[in-house]
This record gives sequence, structure tokens and C-alpha cells, in this order.
Amino acid sequence: MTPNGWLQIAVFFVLLLLAARPMGLYMAQVYERKKTWLDPVLGPVERLLYRLTGVDADAEMRWTEYGAAMLVFSFASLLLTYAIERLQHAIPLWNPQHLAAVEPYLAWNTAASFTTNTNWQAYVPEQTMSYLTQMVGLATHNFWSAATGMALAIAFIRGISRRESKTLGNFWVDLTRGTLWVLLPICLVYSLALVSQGVVQNLKPYDTVKLVEPQTITAPGADGKPATTTITTQTIAQGPAASQEAIKMLGTNGGGFFNANSAHPFENPTPFSNLLQMLSIFLIPAGLCVTLGRMVGSPGHGWAVYAAMSVLWLAGVATCYWAEAQPNPLLHGVDQRVLWAGPGHSLSSGGNMEGKEVRFGIANSALFATITTDASCGAVNTMHDSLMPLGGLVALSNIHLGEIIFGGVGAGMYGMLIFVILSVFIAGLMVGRTPEYLGKKVQAFDVQMSMLYFLIFPVVILGFAAVSVLIPAGLSSLSNHGPHGLTQILYAYTSAAGNNGSAFAGLNANTHWYNVTLAITMLAGRFLMIVPMLAVAGNLASKKIVPPSLGTFPVDSTLFTALLTSVIVIVGALTFFPALSLGPVLEHLLLRAGISFS
Amino acid sequence: MSDLVFFAATFVFFLVAMLYVYGCQSLKGGRDDA
Repeated sequence: MTPNGWLQIAVFFVLLLLAARPMGLYMAQVYERKKTWLDPVLGPVERLLYRLTGVDADAEMRWTEYGAAMLVFSFASLLLTYAIERLQHAIPLWNPQHLAAVEPYLAWNTAASFTTNTNWQAYVPEQTMSYLTQMVGLATHNFWSAATGMALAIAFIRGISRRESKTLGNFWVDLTRGTLWVLLPICLVYSLALVSQGVVQNLKPYDTVKLVEPQTITAPGADGKPATTTITTQTIAQGPAASQEAIKMLGTNGGGFFNANSAHPFENPTPFSNLLQMLSIFLIPAGLCVTLGRMVGSPGHGWAVYAAMSVLWLAGVATCYWAEAQPNPLLHGVDQRVLWAGPGHSLSSGGNMEGKEVRFGIANSALFATITTDASCGAVNTMHDSLMPLGGLVALSNIHLGEIIFGGVGAGMYGMLIFVILSVFIAGLMVGRTPEYLGKKVQAFDVQMSMLYFLIFPVVILGFAAVSVLIPAGLSSLSNHGPHGLTQILYAYTSAAGNNGSAFAGLNANTHWYNVTLAITMLAGRFLMIVPMLAVAGNLASKKIVPPSLGTFPVDSTLFTALLTSVIVIVGALTFFPALSLGPVLEHLLLRAGISFS
Repeated sequence: MSDLVFFAATFVFFLVAMLYVYGCQSLKGGRDDA
């Protein structure tokens, strides 16, 4: 670890803190339908959309109607993406490489993946998806799934703030306003900033260039005998990457335009683009803490939630940075220390550089890996499969905690609020009083629905992972055996259920087994968790607000932040520690003992 | 054929999710929570 590395992590934290308040207050204005400076431009567009679709913008929805509208919208948009993937070869638009139709299993997996904001990619984008599919089938989902998550978080916040109300707002209005007022304007500016850094944005066919140094490779030929080939040219993929890159990060989607994702120089060319990408992952989730405080009338509560998220983020990044800065004990005779070329100038950042971009180094790789798994983003600038066991443990655990450390746009906030309900309930039990949350009594139905929310997550992850380690269809995809192989499988289902999308990419997930089971996991991890969450929101909205008394647990205090953090860690640890101990923890211990598996 | 199967699978999943919404609502039933 280097002072420079820590300085960069500190700069990131300060910039995020500075951006959170204006972002959060702006979102509160947007969702409360108050005046914003974009109204003269976007107001007519919004009204036109409602007129075309027949939406009554003033109609309020009960939680069941809100949930049903969200499900109908997701169902239709999933099928639309599936159809585009299957028909891309027949549509004479933006397919300069003449790419074939996506095969059905992969098409369904991808449609489920982008609908659920996961962006798990079991394919190589530049070899599989036409520009049309990338733009109309996938990038649109990046907007819609993000706007859906934000709408749901706002619905939950309304559930807390409203009194004796049967409704939570209007899903179609929240979806439209989130897209028009928040996502589109930021992405427009952000895309141009990325283009200025060198991210490509075109509709050209791929370029073929002559290699400066031809490469000679020897590989088994068709007859099985070694054959030597000299490669003299390279194909360089092109495409409308910048426009997709912006929403990929801002919407915590994470699906790369290219296979290498944010490690690709056309997606993430410079240190500045890297900083922008990391900040944009957390921008909306951090802002939503301020939105929460504003909309429930308790700014301190919003900051207490922000503080809990920050503590968990800091613990993750410190552990991951430390783990990755350690020398790999199996690389005997290799100098893995920090190499200094004079005061303030290091030639090597020291530690594990496998799977990392030299231009980003260990600090920015560890920071990116932590951020992308804290949020349900899943974009990567380093290969998670090549992280040291404890570095991989951090990535995995971040998702296991429920994607609530800032989390996915909207999804992180409503997930965190379910933890808040649980924390308040536990605090109430400890003092022997009916728990209250901002004046709302937390009662049996709220806790039942919260527990349903918590239980679906481990059931799909551990259930499918357990089956996968028992059957050939699951095991045949592994690139490593032993504990690392278990971690590859566990990570895949964890990433899918958490709607993260990053991978321990040594696992070949483009098989019928993984395409189908991971799609089911993604759908369950999104929609089967949203429903009980909305049920809690609807129930809270219908309650009276009781005035605070001596026994009321203050939710804007340091004690609340400490309790909330503890509850999150304990729930996560109790649920997943047995699986983790057989995966990354065991791998770490064996690595220290000099044992590895091929 | 596969397309039909995946269409059916999607439909069934969202149908179940829709029923799940009303299942959760009915769980609340006549409770005195509110």
C-alpha cells in the first residue's frame, strides 16, 4: 500500500460527499414534482408522453397497483429485448459486422439480466450483439431498470413519510420523471465527457490494422499436431460505446460495451475517466440518502444511513486494498515489493498485479472492485477472478450484504431501509417497547415481509450453488478446482441474485444450465424481493404517526448508525459465512501453506 | 420452439410474481397493524 493509493481513495470519498447533497436535493424536487430548472424543456415532453400513453399523472396507486404496473412494464420490456436479440440478423439496421441472431438460451439470460439491472454477460459483446441490440435492446434497459429502481426507492420513502395514506404515488410518473429529469440529462453531459477522454462513439464497421510486431503462436491444428501461425493483423472493435458507458455506470448496470468492460481502453481510457466512472456508480445511491432525509423531514436520518454505508464501504476498500497489496506467496523469487524510483515516485505499486491494468494500479483496482460490488453495478476495471482470496472475499461479501452499501440505484436504498426496519425492530425488542420508525409503529406484518425479503436472497444463491456443485452440468464450466472453483460458482449466483453482474470469469457461464438458472436467479433476486418490500412500504403508508416519546429510538444518531451497521454485518455473516469459509477463506489458508489447485 | 418455451417461462414467472403481490396483500388480511 502506498500513501498515493490512500490519497486517491480519500479524494474519491470527499468528492462523493460533496456531490451527494446537491444530487439528493435535486432528486427530491423531481419526485415531489416541484419546480426544477429543466422544467421548461422537459415539462412538454413529459406531458406529451402521458398523452400518448394515456397515463393519468395525478392518479395515485396502492402498493399492489404500483407493484403490478412495475411487473407488467418489466415483463413487456424483457420480451422486447429478447425479440431484438433473436431478430438482430434480420433487421437491416446498425449491424455492420452482420452478426447472427443470439441463440435462445443466451438471449433469454441476457434479456433477464438487463431487465433486472444485473447486466450479467455470458457473451462477448463485440462478437455477439449488433449495434442495434446494444442501443435499443440493452442501453434502453439500462435507463428503464435504473429508473424503476429509483421509483421503487421513492415509493418506499413515501411509505415512511405519508400518514394514513393508501397510496405510494404513480409508478408511470416516477419512471418517466426519473428517466427524463435525472438519468438522461446527466448521461448526455457524461457521455460527452467520456468522448473527450477517448471513449469511442460511432456506428462504423470494425477496423483491421497491421500489427507493428507480428505474433507467432503454436497451437494444436485440426489434425491434433502442433501448427505454427503468424498473426499480422488485429481487428479493433468500434461502436456507440460512450452513450452506453454513461448509463452503464450512472444506472449501476455494469454491462460492458466490450468484453473487457472498464478495463478496455475504449471504455475507460484515462485516470480521469476511471475517477468519473467510480463516482458515477455511487452518485445516485449517495444522493438518495439526502433525498430520504429531505422527504421524511429528517435530514439527520439520511446522513445516519449515509454514515452506515460509508463505514461498510471503507472497511471493504481497506481490506481489499490491503489484500491486493500483499505479495502472492506462490510466486517464489519474484520481487513483489513497492519499487521506488525516488521520493514520491514508485515504479511498481507492489502486490498482486494479475488481472489488473498497469495504468490503474492496485489502489484504483481495489477501489473500483469494492465500489462496483458495494453498488449492484458489476462493471470491472480489474478481473475479480484474479483477486487474492481475501480481495475476492470482499467483493463477494459486499454483494452478500444485500447490495446496500450505497447499492444499486434505488435498490440500495430500499434494501437499506428494510435493514433499518429490522434494526429498529431489534432495538425495540431490547428495550421492551413496540418499535417505532419515524413515528410509525413497526408491527408483525412489516417484520414478516422484511424477513421474506431477507430469506429469498440466500435461498436462491445457496440453493442453485449447492445443486451446481453436485451435477456435471455445473462442474464442467469450472476453470479451477478446489475452493476457488466453489467460489466461482458461489460468486455467479451471488452476483445474479444481487443483480450485480460482475463475475469470477473463469467460469464458463454460457451453457444451458447456467444461462437458465442464472436468469431465474436474477429474476427472483429482483422481483421476488421487490414485492415484500413494497408490501412494507404500503403498510407503513397506511399508519398513523405517533409523537416521539422517551422510549423512541432516535434514527439520526451515531448509536443508530452503529446498530444498523452491526445488524447488516451480523445478518450477512450468519447467512453466508459457512459457504465463504469453504471458498475464499479456505483458499487463503491453503495459499499461505503453499497449496493451490489447477 | 425454444422461443415459445422462453416466452412461456417469462409469462409464468411474472404471473407468479403478480400472484405473489396479492398473496402478500392477503397475508395482511384483517390484522390490526395499521
